[in-house]
Formats: sequence, C-alpha cells, structure tokens
Amino acid sequence: MSSPVDLRGFLAGFLGEADEHLTSANANLVAVEQSLAKAETNPRAVRELFRSLHTIKGLSAMVGVEPIVEISHAMETVLRMADLASGRLSEDAADLLQKGLHAIDERVRALAKGASPQPAPESLIDAFSALEARGTSNGGGDEIVLEIDAALASKFTAGEKQQLASAAAAGKRALRVDFTPSPGRADGLSITAVRERVGRVADIVKVVPVSIPESEASPGGLCFALFVVTSAEDGVLGDAAGSDSSGIVAVAHRPRVEPARAEIERDDGSDAHRGTFVRVEVSRLDEALECLSSLVVTRFKLVRAVASLAASGVDVRDLSLIVGETGRDLRDLRAAIVRTRMVTVRSLLERVPLMVRGLTRDSDRAVKVILETGEAELDKSVAERVLPAILHLVRNAVDHGIETRSERLRAGKPEAGTLRITCSQHSNTELDLTLSDDGRGLDRDAVAKRANRPVPESDAELLDLIALPGVSTAGRVTTTSGRGLGMDIVKRIVVGDLGGALSLETEPGVGTTFTLRVPLTITIVDAFSFECGGERFVTPIGAVEEIVEIDPAHVVRVPVAHGGGRDAKMLRRRGEGLPLFGLSGLFGLKPASTGPGKALIIRRQAQQYAFEVERMLGQQEVVVRPLEDPLVRVTGVSGSTDLGDGKPTLVLDLVALCGTISSREEALA
Amino acid sequence: MFVPARGWLPARGAASVRRVAEVLVVDDSKVMREMVIACLRAHDGLSFTHAASGLEALEKLSLKAFDLVVLDLNMPDIGGFEVLEFVRGQDKLRALPILVVTTRGDETSRAKALESGASAFLTKPFSPDVILAEVRTLLSPAAGSVS
Amino acid sequence: MSVLHVLFKVADAEYVVPAADVVQMESFTTATFVPGTRAHVAGLVQVRGQVVPVIDVRLRFNLPKLEPTLDSRVVIVKDGARTVALLVDAAREVVRIPPSDFHPPPEVVSRQSKGFVKSVATSGNRLVMLVDFQKIIGEEPNHAE
Repeated sequence: MSSPVDLRGFLAGFLGEADEHLTSANANLVAVEQSLAKAETNPRAVRELFRSLHTIKGLSAMVGVEPIVEISHAMETVLRMADLASGRLSEDAADLLQKGLHAIDERVRALAKGASPQPAPESLIDAFSALEARGTSNGGGDEIVLEIDAALASKFTAGEKQQLASAAAAGKRALRVDFTPSPGRADGLSITAVRERVGRVADIVKVVPVSIPESEASPGGLCFALFVVTSAEDGVLGDAAGSDSSGIVAVAHRPRVEPARAEIERDDGSDAHRGTFVRVEVSRLDEALECLSSLVVTRFKLVRAVASLAASGVDVRDLSLIVGETGRDLRDLRAAIVRTRMVTVRSLLERVPLMVRGLTRDSDRAVKVILETGEAELDKSVAERVLPAILHLVRNAVDHGIETRSERLRAGKPEAGTLRITCSQHSNTELDLTLSDDGRGLDRDAVAKRANRPVPESDAELLDLIALPGVSTAGRVTTTSGRGLGMDIVKRIVVGDLGGALSLETEPGVGTTFTLRVPLTITIVDAFSFECGGERFVTPIGAVEEIVEIDPAHVVRVPVAHGGGRDAKMLRRRGEGLPLFGLSGLFGLKPASTGPGKALIIRRQAQQYAFEVERMLGQQEVVVRPLEDPLVRVTGVSGSTDLGDGKPTLVLDLVALCGTISSREEALA
Repeated sequence: MFVPARGWLPARGAASVRRVAEVLVVDDSKVMREMVIACLRAHDGLSFTHAASGLEALEKLSLKAFDLVVLDLNMPDIGGFEVLEFVRGQDKLRALPILVVTTRGDETSRAKALESGASAFLTKPFSPDVILAEVRTLLSPAAGSVS
Repeated sequence: MSVLHVLFKVADAEYVVPAADVVQMESFTTATFVPGTRAHVAGLVQVRGQVVPVIDVRLRFNLPKLEPTLDSRVVIVKDGARTVALLVDAAREVVRIPPSDFHPPPEVVSRQSKGFVKSVATSGNRLVMLVDFQKIIGEEPNHAE
C-alpha cells in the first residue's frame, strides 16, 4: 500500500469550493427574502440553497471540519422541509438561515487563516431544531395545468412543478427543449455546455434523461429533456440548446389571461377588485334562470291558494307576509343570476390599447388610448356582439381618423392623437358607449362623392351615408380596415341586432365621435323560421314538439255548430285527433301557396295543437326584441327580430296563441 | 447502445494483458472527485473520467463503456438516485458496478440506494482504505456476476 | 316667432305636426303584419334600425283605405316614451307657423276628425290642422279583435 492519503491536504481546495457555495447560497437567500417580501415563494432558490448546504456538509465532513458539518446539517434539514413544501419558507426560517450562513462563513475564514474554527453555536443549533419541530409554513398548491409526459411527470417534485406553474402565472413561458448528446455533433456541445448556455437565457427547473431509440443522431440512445422557464424567444432558446426551435414545447397553461400592460390611462380611478373567479358556461346560467321561472310560477300558485284561504275566512296575515318575502327573494335572485352574465366593459375593451399599438407600430402615427369605462357592465351576449363593431370603429379612427405626426404638428395639435372611449348609463336598460378621436373628422364632400349622393347636411345624414353598403371613407383600402366589417355592418349589429342606436358627431379638423347605445341585456333564442300567408315568422324551437308533413288523407273536417259555416279541421296522428289551425287563416292572411304544408305540433297544458304553415325555412339563433308599444303588444307575439333583411320579423309565441284560440272557442260556445 | 461492462481482470495464471478499467467518478465537487481519485491511485490499471453532474454522467455513460462508476448521491439538477434509476433501466447497464457515496447522517439513503441498484454504498467521511477495498471488490472477476 | 312644422296630407286635408317631434320621414312600401292588432295598425317597420309600429292615419280617421302610392310616407313621431310611425298619403313640406296663429278647430272639422285635431291655422292660403298625436296613437290598452 502506498503512503496513507491525508485528506486534510485538500483543505485549500475545500476552502475554495466552500467559498463558492457560500456565495451562491447567500445570493439564493437574498432571492428568497425578496420573494417573501412579495408574499411569493421561490422554490428554485430554496432548492439550490438546500443543495449548497448539503454539499458544504459533505465536503466539510470529508476534511473533518466538525462545526461546519453541524451547522450545515441543521440548515439542510430546514431547507429540505421547505423544499418539500414547494419552497414555502417563513421569515423566521429565512432569518435563521442567514445567521447559519454567517456562522459557516466565519469558520471557513478561520480555517483559511490556519486557525481552528469555533464549535457550532448552541443557540443557533437549538433554534434550528425548534424550527424543524414546528415545521415550515404549509400551504396548498395552485391549480395550474401542466402538460408533461406522465412518465416524466412522476419525476418532478412538488417544488419543481410549482416553479413551472408560478412562472406560467407570472407571464413567463414554461417550456421543454430537448438535447441529444452525440460525439458526431457538429457543434460539439455536451450536456454541461448546453446547461450553461440555456442557463443564461432561462431558468432551468429540471433536466430529465429520456431513453430514445438509438440512431445516427443519437448513438447513445439518450436524450435530455430540459424543462425551463423563460421570457426568451424560441429561436434564442433553441440556439442555446443546439437544436432548432421546432422542438420546443410549452408545458404549462396560464391559469388566467393577464391583460397586456399597455400604456393606458385609467381616468376612472378604480381598480378591478381582485376576487376569485369561476369559469361558467353561459348555458348553465340560463338553466338557473329557467329554474327561477318555475319558482315564480309556483309562487303564483301559492299566492292564489292563500287568496282562496283568505276568501274562506282564514287569517292569512302571517302567510301573506311570508309569501311577500318570497316574492322579494325571487326578484333578488333573478337580479343576482342576471348579474352573473354581466361582463365589465373595461374587460371587454382591454385589448384595445394593445391593438392600437400594433396598428401604429410601423406607421408615422401615434395614438394614445384613454378608457373611461368605470364599472359599467353588459350582458355577455351583448358584449360579444358589440365588440366587433367597436373594434372596427377603433381601426377606422386609427387608420383614417388620426393624422400623421407631422400633419398634426402642422395643425397645431399634439403629436400623438387621442382615442377616448367612455361609457355612461343612458337609462335602466341602455348603455351609451362613445368613441371619440381628435383626428381630422369626416369629409362630407368626399363621402357624398363616393356615395354618389348629395352632400349630407346633418351628421345624422352623414352617418346614414357612410353606413350604406359599399361606401368607404378611405382614399385607399388598407389591410386593416379596408376589408372585414364595414360601417354598414356596425350599424346592423348595433341597431339591427341589438336594437340600439348609433349616432355620429364630426367636425373637420377637430375630430369624430361615434356614440353606440346598446341594451344592457338581450334575449336570444333558437328559432324555427317559416312562411305563412306570404309572411315570414319565427318561433322558439323549445315550444315545438314536432314538425310533420300534412298528409291530406289525415285531415278530417269537423262541422262546427257555431263556426259560421266554417269547418274545423283535425289532424289524425298516432290514433289521436289534434285541432289543426292554418296560421294564415288565424292571422287573416291569404295563403300564398296551395298544396299541403307542414304542421308545427305545439303542446299547451294537456292538449296538443297543430299549426299549419306553408313552408319551413330553417333554424337559427335570433335576438328577440320585445315590442314595447301598446299598439303592437298582442298575445301570441313575443317580439320582433331581424333575420338580416332589415325588416322586422315577428317572433310568435304559439303556446300563448293556443290559449287565445281555446278561449275564443269557449266564447263562441 | 450501452456497451456491457468489460475489462475485468483475466483469469488467474493466464498471461494477461492488463486492460485498463474505466472508472467514471461523478460528483459535483471537483475537490471531492480529486479526493476519490487520490484514494484509488493505489489500485493499478485504473483510468479515471470526471463527470461533474448526473447529467454529464449519463451523457458519458451513453457514449462510452465504463467498468465502474463512483457516484455521489447529492448533486444538483439530477440527483444520484435518478441517475441510478435511469442507468438500471437500461438493459445493458444492469451489470455495471456502481459505488454510491453519500453524507453521514443520511442512513435512509443507504437502503434506498441499494434497492435502486447500487452495488455498494459508502458514507462520507470515508478513509482511503475503505473506498479502495470496495473498489477492489467491485472490480474483481468474482464481482462480475453481481448485478 | 315661427315654429317649424312638418306638413302631411291625408285625403286632401292637410295636417301639421311640430318638426321637433319628427324623428324621420321615409317612403313606405310595406309594414310587417302583426296579428291581433287594431284595424288601423298597419304593422311594424324598421327605420334606422328601430322597430316602430305604424298607424294607417286614413283608417284611424275612418277614411277608406288606399293602397300605398309612391307618395305615401311614414312620418315617425316621438312624443315622450312612445315613437310611432304615421302612414300618410304624402309628406313633402315643412312650414313655419307662429304659435299665435293656431286657433281651436271649428265644429265641422272637429266632428270629422273625431278629436284628433288640436287646433287649426292658416298657412299662406290654406287651412292646416295641428294633430293631437297622443290621441292618434291612443293610450287605451290594446285588445285582440
């Protein structure tokens, strides 16, 4: 055997490495403390701290520096607990760790001077033991969607998953990029080199070895999957890893979309409150409303029952109070459910500043966007429909309304144009949205010329002109506003679909303001459209049990005593006879076509009815606008809609119509 | 393809060409690696390769055949256990002797390491004699049948 | 101080309504039929996107119904919360009439127009009648025929 190896000769080397580890440990501890100040966790720093201390412990054990072993062991234990808790560390713990690092540092320096290090301070070790006994703070993880191969995912610790998830939540990207080592690589990269390069452009959370089939590119049958967190672009990352960016895969989904931090001025002052949110399908809210409706019906029955009790002399005062309360509760419940469908106008318009930035990026124009929406809200269905119209108006303002920088300066205006969007409640049921720019205004003469019409005198007439299909105010078609929606569609959406109003104010050289008046909520139903008596109608499909072809052989005429000579008709179906009514006859319209039509089978209470129509046209979603004026409020008509031709089409309530028929028959009897 | 371990010493008595045994020393501390190598210099015919991380170790193992791995369990990025598990998952490496090294006070690791496929287990601090003896055992022909 | 009025014709008689109340005037072809409404309700039209009921003024005034002609117009009047379109034979002019020129209608006119006329005035050499819009559109709750 050779002369005994004296490991203490490696002291110098030990000191060097210990120093390195202490430096990085200190840096990591600072990072942890910064995160703590923000009430965040920093799993990566905690993990690295843990490793550093573990290494120091091992090294100092080898060279026989007992005190350092003790201190680092105590620190390592606490850090291991924090690591298992996804990086959660209390302030007390961070404080102690700081003292521990300091203690180790002292002793390392003593060693460097050739002195003997002091034994580990008892109080410090005790404090660590106490901390260990208490446990570091615990908390739940966030629910983030991580997409990692199941086989690989099992290798991740909670802390590592937390790192990826937190990054996604903070707006960075959590990615996987692969590196396959091979002696034949042109770039000569090794995994160590790749780690270093990638580490410069990203935070590496974990590197996982993966067995792959051997090939020329992978003679070792091995590939490393690097899971990183970064804001760098794919190209940069791929370059660092010696691969092209096509192999880069995202592994975490953002839990919610963060609004882009564009330069907007929020003059309304209020911040969206940070509540917790749930994603709900709108159909579920509609279900809730339907349940509510049936509650309302039940309550009516209750009211009638109470009334008849009262009529037979029972003292119903208590009962009435209770029934009254339920009425109020139901009203509040309805309001609460309807409110869940509301979205704030602010959230609807969040993308506008970013969009404007994109539009002006490579141009000679600058536009400032000011959103003054306050807390105004809209029903989701209205919001969805009005958004494209708003965006079109924004594009118009930016592309055609606002002048170039130099033009504006020459005109004595500020270099950057302003687009201001404000919101105000017009009434209980309507909201006003105005889009105002300080650009060049609309040129009446140019519009008139393009539309081949006389020059409009009022702004209202000007609006009518530019809303004519085919009229564009632009001198040339730009890629953003030349195609897509036209002003005519904006009007169709706001006025036709939503039943709102659109108005315009413009002054050449000063600017243009569009005002959109929209309802706060709308009713949308799936409806069948059909023809009858030369007119078009629609009716909700929910009320139609069936649509059948009318076979003349199944139509039975029944003479009616008081029918004034007119026979009633019945439709034989499945062994039963249903009263058959021609809608055109009911409405006093002349049938537009002969020949058998179709019958809509409607059920009212226990009885089925058949309504004959001439031709089924189709099925679509329609917006139902109630008919408010007393002149046209009739049973059997829920409202009107626009099927796209600009003419009102009636929405029929066939169930209610059945009711009027039966009462009419009773009246005749 | 992981090449099976080779290079064990030829049968006694035979005229032998001493093949060099390739030893992969894996530890993120350079000092530690140097210490291990220093300890093992007493053993003839060993050629040492450094790996400063588990990843580097796997990379090297995939591209070259080794006769012994000295593996520290505590390493950043991918710990010794993961290296063990991955290596033992490869058919051709099942028989590769792996000497696992860990810090004192980590007794639970011992059992876990052996379950994970370590051939032998040492705790720091260890004296040079101890590691030398272990390595000799692992590299001896009889050891070739140990999986 | 003259006030601008819109002038329209129904069966050779001329009527006016304050221009400030008139939202729009459009030519008329058809209205969407609404079943179950009073006889004088011609139906619904959509003007500038707004859905508005149409009253056939001829029928309202108990005059024989006529098919719409090229001259037929709907005069859309807004008074308070209600906006209603009046279907008339023609509407081409606006006239300025000082409020002092309006006098209560003579007996003959009143009977014929059944209280739909508020007052009369002379514009140039013709007699124009100021309509009572609220009476025309009626406030009674509607009932099916």
